Amino acid sequence: MKSNRDRTEIVVNRRFSIQFMTALAALLIATATFASPPAKIALKGGRIIPIVGEDIPVGTILIEHGKIKAVGKDVEIPYDAMVVDVTGKVVMPGMIDAHSARGLDIRNENLDVTPFLDVYDAIDPSKLYFEDALRDGITTIHAIVGHNCVIGGLSRAIHPIGITPDEMTQQPSVSLKLSVAPQNRSDRMAQLATFRETFRELAEYLDDLAETKYEESLEKKDEKIKVGPDEAKKLGKDLIKPEDYDDKHRNLVKLTGGQLGAFVYAGRAADIAAAESLAKQHGFFDQTTLVLGPRCYKAIEEIKATGRPVVLDSQLLYREENPITGKITETFIPKVYADAGVAFSLLPSGDTSLAERYLNYQAARCVRNGIARKTALEAITINPARAIGIGDRFGSIEVGKTANVVVMSGDPLDFSSWVDLVYINGIRAYERESDVRLKQLLGEEKPEIPEQVKGEKNEGAPVDPKAGHSKGDADKLEAPAPNEMTKDAEKKKE
Amino acid sequence: MKISANHQKPLCLKGLHIVQLGIAAVIAGMLTIPPVRAADNAIVLKGATVHIGNGEIIDHGVVVIRNGRITQVGANLTIPADAKVIELAGGSITPGLIDANAALEPTDVMMVDRRNARQVAADLFHGDHKGHENESVGCCGSSCPRQLQHASGAKCKQCGFPDTSPAMAVGVRRSAMSVEHSSEVIPHTRVIDSVNLRSPDFDRLAGGGVTTVFAAPDSAAVISSQGAILRTAGSLHDRVVRESGAVMASMGSDPARRGFSNNLPFREFVNFYNRRPTTRMGVAWVFRKAMYDTDRFDKGEIVYGADAPTEPAMKELRHVLAGKIPLRIQARMQHDILAALRLADEFGLEFTLIEATEAHRCLDELRDSKSPVVYGPVYVDAPGARAFSSEVDNARLHTLKELLRAGIPTALTAHELRDEDGLARQAMYARRFGVSLEDVTRCVTETPAKLLGIDDEVGTVASGKRADLILWNGEPFDGASKPVVVISGGKIVVDRRKG
Repeated sequence: MKSNRDRTEIVVNRRFSIQFMTALAALLIATATFASPPAKIALKGGRIIPIVGEDIPVGTILIEHGKIKAVGKDVEIPYDAMVVDVTGKVVMPGMIDAHSARGLDIRNENLDVTPFLDVYDAIDPSKLYFEDALRDGITTIHAIVGHNCVIGGLSRAIHPIGITPDEMTQQPSVSLKLSVAPQNRSDRMAQLATFRETFRELAEYLDDLAETKYEESLEKKDEKIKVGPDEAKKLGKDLIKPEDYDDKHRNLVKLTGGQLGAFVYAGRAADIAAAESLAKQHGFFDQTTLVLGPRCYKAIEEIKATGRPVVLDSQLLYREENPITGKITETFIPKVYADAGVAFSLLPSGDTSLAERYLNYQAARCVRNGIARKTALEAITINPARAIGIGDRFGSIEVGKTANVVVMSGDPLDFSSWVDLVYINGIRAYERESDVRLKQLLGEEKPEIPEQVKGEKNEGAPVDPKAGHSKGDADKLEAPAPNEMTKDAEKKKE
Repeated sequence: MKISANHQKPLCLKGLHIVQLGIAAVIAGMLTIPPVRAADNAIVLKGATVHIGNGEIIDHGVVVIRNGRITQVGANLTIPADAKVIELAGGSITPGLIDANAALEPTDVMMVDRRNARQVAADLFHGDHKGHENESVGCCGSSCPRQLQHASGAKCKQCGFPDTSPAMAVGVRRSAMSVEHSSEVIPHTRVIDSVNLRSPDFDRLAGGGVTTVFAAPDSAAVISSQGAILRTAGSLHDRVVRESGAVMASMGSDPARRGFSNNLPFREFVNFYNRRPTTRMGVAWVFRKAMYDTDRFDKGEIVYGADAPTEPAMKELRHVLAGKIPLRIQARMQHDILAALRLADEFGLEFTLIEATEAHRCLDELRDSKSPVVYGPVYVDAPGARAFSSEVDNARLHTLKELLRAGIPTALTAHELRDEDGLARQAMYARRFGVSLEDVTRCVTETPAKLLGIDDEVGTVASGKRADLILWNGEPFDGASKPVVVISGGKIVVDRRKG
């Protein structure tokens, strides 16, 4: 007989395993859904906002094997393409979140200097955030650690579908995160001293490694060292192979060698100079993207002079109260950057707001405050793609680019527009019709559990919506959302 | 006799007269002719789409303002020669917004630096705090009263960190109650007595297009104070529209969850040992007993119990029972709304339902009761303020739509939310979640004006009414537009035309 205590544990375990299996089932279904997209898809009749190039009032996008094959007013649709009628809707490239730690289990390590970490290990594909990202039309997320570090880990560009970080990855090893702004741990002096210490230690390590390498090479030839240590360090430098670096230093070597991007966070205007000199001194200035806190706009001249791409904090309005008169002055931050001609990327807010969580709303705010529409739309698509270094594959609707496309019910800057469809790599990753969670919030869910349960016996296995992709109207497809399927799976278990 | 021992004579004798005097003073105040100005030149607003507020729309409308009043509204009007013309091609005009339940920043709480009044306001509506998912930066470290968690780099919505010192937030919190602690039943206290008309909070409201507010009492007392109707801008002499308006009662957990105990001098938070109600039953009981006692008091009978309302309170409650002072009841959850309906039924009261987060779950009951609703704010995860109580878990996005569809007169409120989060954005949300532009305009203009009984003055763009107007640089309540000019009483109080 097992003790009560053991029993409880078993029960707990069983409950856990049921949950786990349910989650797994849902994920498997999700992958099944994404497994084999139709080879050719034509999105026909929508207004196309390609971002790069002029808008097309009524046009067609032809997607072939996950890439954009043709865009234009009169695109010949191949006989075997699946035609999706998007008449009256607006088609734009998938939006890009240039800096997000929300898909990670924890934003930052406790350690200050962690160049050996990779967000790969922290990405949690089951996070609701990814579901929300799809719902909000975000197709690329630059998964990167938070600002609370000195040197954080490696980041990567991912899309919000897939059940493993590997499947989600669009681009591994995008950049290393550095933060010149002290968070709630230390002051600026300590922050910058840590940088100096880290790079000094790197230099020492490289010297030692070179010396060791030189010694090893002599040992192989059974020779004895005839030169002093300084000379040995010089001679050994060329003997170092990439695999010789240890984990702790490998990424730093890549960074200083210009093979790795750098996302440098500056919290206040005073941090800009520090960020710039740090990047220049250690040879990664040309790969640097500045991630700027709200108050950095005061150093707009310096920022402009660096010529580096800029990612702005989600707080776009800065309020300052005159301590004497109590008068509040408002500054709309992106306007300052737009006026200075600095290319910037916008971020969605990480909090629970119903508005700023949408990148297209952030862009709408820009337009409301006098920024050109084109600039605002670029700031949520092509600019972040370029900042991440994937601008050649993502961020606009151009021939040859990856087919990450969002179909909206109206203009993206109209707050009443909804994301209707999302395609990632040519795969239909989201459709509003099947978004059960959204329907619940909007009171649109059907009272009884519909067809899915009834239809269960026909399929046995869950319905693959894409299996029905002959040439029919996409709107007729009964695509079960992951949530509904989860419910079904739960039912089965019970 | 317990009652005469508790309450001193002067109040007994003069209480009624005070009320009458008060009413007389209000009437007198309303009749007083504002200081005569030299005849103003007319202001003409031209070229915009005019949203009247009652659902009607005039394309390319013209609005003529003279002496602080709207004198003409229409499509093809001759423009007076002396007029100052404001052209608004592509823009639109709505009436100034009216927030029928605005929580103002308290300015009379102890130890509060005026610059931190915003924090106080945020602090007031908090319950238990839960951190944002995944955001592991404690903004205020160990000194923070709530161990606030928020996105790194972002300003904390609750305490303002890093823009404000966390230490300040701590000092603020111990005293941050705008509710009177001397009793649970305080309808004889008035919000107007604590309002600082020069508070920057009014600038924020005006900046967001809100020109008239009902200054709502705090919800930490079972039967709270009387609110006031105020203008957010203009000269001091006509800022106060009505000194004392409705009395607000609270159902649900707010009176139990929040605030200090009444056990002076040891002002600790509510717990088992002090005399605040600690359950919903307790809250309903305090309400019920107050009404019951008032009834007895009216009949000259003895009122028993240490928790009996004070005499001045009963003198006000008598008017509430008689329907002379309007009653509001704040209730969020379905069962709280039903409790409010039950109590109102019991005492034959008419009331306005406030907040009504779960109104979508009891639409039929609400419709049958004919109670109007002041709904809002709109959220799924409650924002900063009232946030983290367990009463907001079933918030839905379609509640306003359902209320309107059920034919329940509903006004929309932003409560303590300001600036970009303010009333205009609440209306924007409502549009996204299925309410038409006409309906939502009505929810923030005409309907609240009617609820507050000030619809002869404000609430629509109509000839003869006060010139409280907003000029938008696009369609109102849209993502890509904002109030560019806000006019209150014919004066431009916010002007963002220069950029």
